[in-house]
Amino acid sequence: MHITHYIPLFPFVAFLINIFWGRRLGIGSAYVALAACGAAFIFSVKTMLGLQAGDGSYNLGTWLVINGRALDFGILVDPLTVMMLLIVTFIGLFILIYSIGYMHGEDRFSRYFAYISLFMASMLGLVISDNFVMLLICWEGVGLCSYLLISFWHEKAAAARAGLKAFVTTRIGDTGFLIGILLLFFTTGTFHFTDLPGLNGPEWLLTLSAILIFTGAMGKSAQFPLHVWLPDAMEGPTAVSALIHAATMVAAGVYLVARCFPLFAAHPMALQTVAVIGAISALGAASIALVNNDIKRILAYSTISQLGLMMLGLGVGGLSAGTFHLMTHAFFKALLFLCAGSVIHAVHTQDIWKMGGLMKKMKVTGMAFVIGTLALAGVPPFAGFWSKDEILVTAWNNHHPVLFAVALLTSLLTAFYMGRLIFVVLFGEKRSDTHAHESPATMTVPLIVLSLFAAGAGFIGSPLKEAGEHAGPALFIMGLSTLVSFAGLGTAYLIYIRRLELLPASVLTSLNGFRTLLINKYYCDEIYNVVFVKPCLRLCQGSFEFDAKVVDGVVNGVGSFVQQCACMLRKVQSGFVHNYLILQALGLLMIIVWLIKI
Amino acid sequence: MIPLGFYVAISAFLFCLGIFGAMTRRNVIGVLISIELILNAANINLVAFNKYLGDKTGLGEIFSLFVIAIAAAASVVGLVLIIAIYRNSKSLFTEDFHLMKE
Amino acid sequence: MSDIIFYVIAGCVCLFGLLSVTARSIFHCAMFLAMGLLSIAGLYFYLDAQFLGIIQTLVYVGGIVTLFVYAIKLTTHIDDTTIKQVNAQLLPAAVIVIFLFMIILRLFAGADLMKLVPSTASTSIAQVGEAFMTTYALPFEFMSVILLAALVGAIVIGKVK
Repeated sequence: MHITHYIPLFPFVAFLINIFWGRRLGIGSAYVALAACGAAFIFSVKTMLGLQAGDGSYNLGTWLVINGRALDFGILVDPLTVMMLLIVTFIGLFILIYSIGYMHGEDRFSRYFAYISLFMASMLGLVISDNFVMLLICWEGVGLCSYLLISFWHEKAAAARAGLKAFVTTRIGDTGFLIGILLLFFTTGTFHFTDLPGLNGPEWLLTLSAILIFTGAMGKSAQFPLHVWLPDAMEGPTAVSALIHAATMVAAGVYLVARCFPLFAAHPMALQTVAVIGAISALGAASIALVNNDIKRILAYSTISQLGLMMLGLGVGGLSAGTFHLMTHAFFKALLFLCAGSVIHAVHTQDIWKMGGLMKKMKVTGMAFVIGTLALAGVPPFAGFWSKDEILVTAWNNHHPVLFAVALLTSLLTAFYMGRLIFVVLFGEKRSDTHAHESPATMTVPLIVLSLFAAGAGFIGSPLKEAGEHAGPALFIMGLSTLVSFAGLGTAYLIYIRRLELLPASVLTSLNGFRTLLINKYYCDEIYNVVFVKPCLRLCQGSFEFDAKVVDGVVNGVGSFVQQCACMLRKVQSGFVHNYLILQALGLLMIIVWLIKI
Repeated sequence: MIPLGFYVAISAFLFCLGIFGAMTRRNVIGVLISIELILNAANINLVAFNKYLGDKTGLGEIFSLFVIAIAAAASVVGLVLIIAIYRNSKSLFTEDFHLMKE
Repeated sequence: MSDIIFYVIAGCVCLFGLLSVTARSIFHCAMFLAMGLLSIAGLYFYLDAQFLGIIQTLVYVGGIVTLFVYAIKLTTHIDDTTIKQVNAQLLPAAVIVIFLFMIILRLFAGADLMKLVPSTASTSIAQVGEAFMTTYALPFEFMSVILLAALVGAIVIGKVK
């Protein structure tokens, strides 16, 4: 039963319906998108069952023939694909349900569902394509939809700018990705993922192409140094943030690395790069999240950090660890964002210091928020604990002590900032007189369902679990990880609820400089502004002036030269007989001179 | 004996005078007079060559007659045109006629 | 003796030609033109082309110049000598004409025109008349048509509406 290729078609058809007839459908467009997503989910489940029954990848036909090598319309079906399909469709389903409540009364309601459908179609197409070319096409589709959705409220200048920033930043990575794909093709002559294990070619070229492909993943998954777009992407609707952070956009980068894992695994340099970039992103973003005051931005930096952790997991050789964390993270991060959206919906602010004591008023949201936090912080037995633990174990087993330490430190910071978030937002005293109220059922039901998964997804275990990976009993690491998460949460509790001064004032003041650095996000935006944006703008200005002065000058010069000549020549055509006569005589003279000379 | 060159020289002189006059006279009638000179210069050449080359059929003279007839026709039409223009614009100076470029 | 006659006639041609172009009064121009044309008729006589000389006198002096005088009388104030008679392009025109004259002379100087002797044979009027009626009958008829056309055209254009 070859049904996998129908999966992206459902949301795509929903997109077409919503974009062309959305206005007429009104609220119905949401149900169209929902139905398409549901169908895609059912087909995904069928694909999973088919895979268990022994079905696999298949070809739909040959697309191109390049230098005698066929590029096929191939559909790749393996555990990784199935996992991604299920995550995207399942989480997408609940985000859609949630969006009905969240976007209620929005002016471009149907347009929103059209974009979301296209977003999901692109992502689903991305995970089932079996070659780089099809993947790249869907990849760009994802980028386009992220742009459209982040700047969905484009009346707001900040939203429009954020969308542009996301698009341009990921574009930098995509350029590297494209070069990497072409480099790989010209080195080995293949676009197909199935050919990746055991490629022959110059070592350095393959390593280079792997790193270039990784830059594409860096852009999409918001890894340092291309992470700057993700926090700004919070300008979009919160449901979009949930989708981007959990199921679609950022997952694409991790998926890409996982998909090309044989290529990376064969070249330690490339793998090392992935791990180091992941570690930098994980620790850096987690530290920024410590001091941020915007509920969505904290979650955004948390996403960067967790993605860094996934990259780190992949980089230390743990394919299943990285993808497992991708899955669990998808659940609890979607949950957290939807909770944040619910909170914002209720109090109409994003500043955590204006919230507080919401637990009493929003029972369901609050509970879900707590569950998501516990999952993210890695408290057993919630989902995040198992996947994070697997990353730690892999790092330890594969002898990467430094990376292990970084991952552990990131876990500690994660637990701390998540503790800070919930203690400030949900508990404690009320800080402003907003009349918070529980959100409608369309919003709370997805929260409840996702809470269940955030709590329990860890028990499913990775579908990629390879035999023997858990050979070494890692109880010690489990204990350490548990201790770290409790330490983080506990410290947050002491500081933000008990209001204890854990550190003497002198130490705090000495840390002020570091704090400023964190508040300013390590000055990344400022540095990029000075190093890249300003020179680029200057170059544009220069080009513009060159165009305006030199190119236009030449064109206008030619024009005015001709005009001048014409003006001069016009005088010849004076209309006076005697002028014509003298010209005639001159012509006669010239003819005679010419004849004589011959 | 007068060499043929003398006739040619006279003819060339008249021709150049005619061209000069046509170019410089402001009065249109003056221009027409100059054109008559040009035609006559051509005639002198025709007749002189006819005589010196000894053509029995008198080709040069016959052509001269044709030229004279044409010149008469041209003058008549030209002068009538001048009168017609004068009637309209009350001027005979070439600077005043620029109907060719309005 | 006959050479002297030639030189006298040639001098008259050049002089009257020059005067007819340069004289201030347009009426004087017409008169000098008449004299010049008469001198040219003299040249024709000198070249044994009597018929042509007569025609020249009749058509040109008797017809065309008279027409000129009529036109002058009908149009402009002949006595007004204060009016400028030459236009602004006197100098370039002079340069062009002198250059042209030199070129023509040079052209003919290279063709050994000085050595040619006039032939004793002369064309009779009978021969010319016969040629018009036989060999050149068609051009002759065309010519009459052109003259008729000019006549009709002149009347049409000159008619006061």
